[in-house]
Amino acid sequence: MSASKIVISSIWSKVGGKYALVVIGLWLLTAAASLVWTPYPLLDTDGFNVWASPSAAHPLGTDGTGADVLSWLMAGSRTNLLIAVLTVIVAAVIGLALVAAMVSRSGALASTSVVVVDALISIPTVLIALILTVPFGASAAVVVASCGCAYGLNLARILRPSAMLAARSAYVESALWSGASTVRVFFSHIVPNTLPVLCVQLSMSAGTSMLAEAGLTYLGVGVGAGVPSWGHSLSTSVKFISIYPMAVLWPGLIVTMVVVALNLFGDALRDALDPLTNPALREDS
Amino acid sequence: MSSPTGAHGEADATKQENEQQPQSTASTDATLNARAKSSNGAKSQGPKKWLIALIAIIAAVAVIVAIAVTRGKNDDANTSGVTKADTVTIGLKLAPVSLDIRHQSGSAIEQVLIGNVYEALLSRDSDNKVQPGLAKSWDISKDGKTYTFHLNQNMTFSNGDKLDADDVAWSINQLKEKQYYNANQVASLDKAEAVDANTVKLTLSTPDSNLLWYLTGRPGLVFDKNAKYNAKTEAVGSGPYTVESFDSASKMVLKANPKYWGTAHKPATQNVVIRFLTDDNAAVNALKSGDVDVLSPVNATLAKSLDTNTYRVSAADGSDKFVLAFNCANSKLKDKRIRQAVRYGINHKEIIASRGNVDYALGGPIPSVDPGYEDLTSLYPYNVDKAKQLMKEAGYSTDNPLKLTLTYANTYGTELGDQLKSQLAKIGIDLKINYVEFSTWLQDVHTNGDYELSLVDHAESHDFYKWTTPDYYFHYDGKQAQELYAKALKATDEKQSADYLKQAAKAVSEDAPADWLFGYRVTVAVDKHVQGFPGKLSQTVLPLWRISKTK
Amino acid sequence: MRFVVKRLVLFVAALIGLSALVFVMLRVLPGDVAAVIAGTNATPERIASLRDDLGLNKPLVAQYGDWMLGLLHGNLGVSAVGGRSVAGQVVTRMSVTFPLIVLSLLIALAIGLPLGCAAVLARSHRLRGLYHGIAIVAGAIPALWGGLLLILLFSRGSGLLGLLPAQGFPDDGWSSPLRALASLTLPALTTGITAGASIMRYTRAAVRDMASSQAVDMAMACGMTRTQAVLRVALRLATPQLVSVIGLTFAQMITGVMVVENLFALPGLGAMLVTDVGNRDLIAVQSELFLLAAFFLLLGLVVDVAHRALDPRLKTAGITSGKATA
Repeated sequence: MSASKIVISSIWSKVGGKYALVVIGLWLLTAAASLVWTPYPLLDTDGFNVWASPSAAHPLGTDGTGADVLSWLMAGSRTNLLIAVLTVIVAAVIGLALVAAMVSRSGALASTSVVVVDALISIPTVLIALILTVPFGASAAVVVASCGCAYGLNLARILRPSAMLAARSAYVESALWSGASTVRVFFSHIVPNTLPVLCVQLSMSAGTSMLAEAGLTYLGVGVGAGVPSWGHSLSTSVKFISIYPMAVLWPGLIVTMVVVALNLFGDALRDALDPLTNPALREDS
Repeated sequence: MSSPTGAHGEADATKQENEQQPQSTASTDATLNARAKSSNGAKSQGPKKWLIALIAIIAAVAVIVAIAVTRGKNDDANTSGVTKADTVTIGLKLAPVSLDIRHQSGSAIEQVLIGNVYEALLSRDSDNKVQPGLAKSWDISKDGKTYTFHLNQNMTFSNGDKLDADDVAWSINQLKEKQYYNANQVASLDKAEAVDANTVKLTLSTPDSNLLWYLTGRPGLVFDKNAKYNAKTEAVGSGPYTVESFDSASKMVLKANPKYWGTAHKPATQNVVIRFLTDDNAAVNALKSGDVDVLSPVNATLAKSLDTNTYRVSAADGSDKFVLAFNCANSKLKDKRIRQAVRYGINHKEIIASRGNVDYALGGPIPSVDPGYEDLTSLYPYNVDKAKQLMKEAGYSTDNPLKLTLTYANTYGTELGDQLKSQLAKIGIDLKINYVEFSTWLQDVHTNGDYELSLVDHAESHDFYKWTTPDYYFHYDGKQAQELYAKALKATDEKQSADYLKQAAKAVSEDAPADWLFGYRVTVAVDKHVQGFPGKLSQTVLPLWRISKTK
Repeated sequence: MRFVVKRLVLFVAALIGLSALVFVMLRVLPGDVAAVIAGTNATPERIASLRDDLGLNKPLVAQYGDWMLGLLHGNLGVSAVGGRSVAGQVVTRMSVTFPLIVLSLLIALAIGLPLGCAAVLARSHRLRGLYHGIAIVAGAIPALWGGLLLILLFSRGSGLLGLLPAQGFPDDGWSSPLRALASLTLPALTTGITAGASIMRYTRAAVRDMASSQAVDMAMACGMTRTQAVLRVALRLATPQLVSVIGLTFAQMITGVMVVENLFALPGLGAMLVTDVGNRDLIAVQSELFLLAAFFLLLGLVVDVAHRALDPRLKTAGITSGKATA
């Protein structure tokens, strides 16, 4: 059995992992499906049928323009997927670059980067987003950039101890002695050592970016107007909570379910990747 | 004074609209109850028992708090068991950001201050008619170029200073010299002179039939020329109220001016508190909990949840016009067929329905409260086929759509843009929405004129001149309208002036330099204990001195 | 000691860098305060003269210099729109935001610490799973949605139970303390529960690590029960880590705080910032953003120094220990 198959089957073997795989799978399917089909076009508005309750024609009701809520949520899954993936990539790049600097053999670079991370880590995501929105306007890119920066710093700080252990270990020393380049050593010896923690953190970052998207979009510094996203659907549903309370239910429920899935996925992935907790990996190698 | 017949017709329409409201209220209530019940069932089955248990503890504390609060309130009510309350609290949506009425734009500041704190040479009633103000009477010379105003006697400002013809002349000359807000409205005015302590003479370069009306607004305000104060945070005026405190984020407290000179506008209530409630839900909560006695405006959709036994809910006309302007200087929109197609392609009824069915279809640049109004909706009725035909003539179709960008401010909500995009897609226009901050809109559209379509609420009354000023951001240069408007200004007879205005408005509408999406009608909810809250135009004219409350 | 000095130097450098960044970014904004004040009836001449009055025609370097000079004297400037001192406005708004944050943090701690310890102490597999589930679900609720659910459950007017005010803040502020507190309860719960979930996860991880340390074994050998040993020894050992985690949670809570301020219509800092940006009241915005950023930088500094002071091991090792992972 290949390693990836082992990992997936060991994730599937747990309740949490099963839930995570199902929800994430559905998410990917919906995002793909929405590219070619949604029950209604997004802008199929009907001013005479606004805030309609769920019915056969509109299973989740309609919004303030009379557009189909289900269609918007389906299309939103695309935007959110994009944000999650990009945020993870940006966070991983920033985080790993900082880790590399922090464990580097140049003392000045290492200590400076440690202090820089410590200083900047407490700047909240929303503040970065606010400052970025000012010149660039609200867009998904602002969400990605601000979340990516904040989570990258966080990641660097969390990975540092295990990266440090690996960097000072005998096999890294010997690899360097035998002439391997520092970049090679970093990716082949140090990063794999942090992999379990890295996976948990990145999947949690994906989850947190969903929460941040909802919050930032509501504050007007997230995804722009007219772009479908779960945060957009949630924000629009707020308008008349006192008379259309049901409208609020769906977008929030979806975000919560997906974030739970991403967090559980991270946990399960960590367990599956760690030879200490996953005997199958030991047998195979 | 005669009033245009159109206004009467509209008033009747308003009444009908209101009478229909109780029915719809009842039906919404029923569906609401049903919905509330179903949501109840769904939620109590949730697995989050821990959450409920946890919150129960905090809720217990909250109950105690709540009881303490309500008890405190009841005590309050019992001790002051008089028939007339000494304080009325009014909830408004828009707050003035400062009190500097000479510089700061916006109708919020006019609504609160004019006639209440600052007074103008003339005043305006809720039918938009000119009434005496600081001047008790006036004469107009035959050529319409000299206006002589006779002031009331013994007038004072709230700081005790005397208000006489010197202050009036000084205020108006300062307006011209310093180009204060709306100075451009009285461009025809040359100078003001104090003839004696109680007489002021205004000299005009050309006759202007709008002058009297403009003098009821900012251009006619009279300030104390000897007073020194921070005009952004304080106000010294001659009105029936003084500003006790002001915070644009929460409230303004007004107290009856003990030195008020007049008798006609004597305050019915000692203290008026104006709360600024930008959030619609919070506003309705404040009304329901008795924190405010009046809500103006109340969101039309949320208003349906109000108990009609406790509140009078009504919609009244105002001067707000939601204008979808077409940049006539733009290469694509120079083509009249495209502008016409957009007008035929917009389903105004649907837009109005989605907003709670309160606003009225407008069809032209003059709102129902202004002279010269007539119903112009029949000029461009909703007709997709005709719109498509026009687009086809101009070379576009749904397969080969025309790309246009609509720039509008995010204060108006995303719904309008989405609706327009959806409606215009059907006639072969691919509308891109550029949803920006109001300040960006001001810069791009208003100042630089760099746009294709724009949407904004032009709230002012008597602002037809914007359509005859070619360098205004509409870039509309309609000679016929300009000539007719010039005639309307020169006309000394009110009816004749209104007639010219009517023709001018029709000429503008036919040319289609814009589409008038709807005239915004303000829905107001008033506690039944409150009397004297105005009907029409309460967004710009809010005579607080009339309002009283019984207990 | 060297560490503290280094950290302080960096703090000051970061402040200066931030001030320049904020200043420049704001000047890139389209639109200006003069146009906003002048409104839709304005002529170009009118806007130009307003710009002059407001000092917007000065060179940018001079504007930046004026601002920094003011900051050094503790003067945050005067709002171009409202004509009030920015410092005064910030203080007024803080009287809403600060209690909200403190209340949220208290709720978060009241939820996170005991549940986190309980999760470590739980014996049955099922119970541990339950605690884990609680932490994950509570941490996955968007602040906006959580707030809405609380409104639908508890608020007067639109809620099922009708206990607490839904939105708004008493217009006389803290002069009616009970009402003010009542209107902060639901918002604070909203952010508190989410933050509590993350504190719970960190507490569980940190205490669990310490619970398997020799110190705990020793304590149990000396006659403590496991519960006692965990609560008295392991929790104490985990304190330094928890302090820095709580510092971070605090920073991350701010997004939630701004959302609930908006949702519950509280006149706090977040609302002020949004209004001022909208009005292009740059003098106010730059000082507000700067203050906020400075606050969080300072928070990071304090947490770091505290972490060091509490954990003597770090002094010798020269490494900041990593954050516990859930």
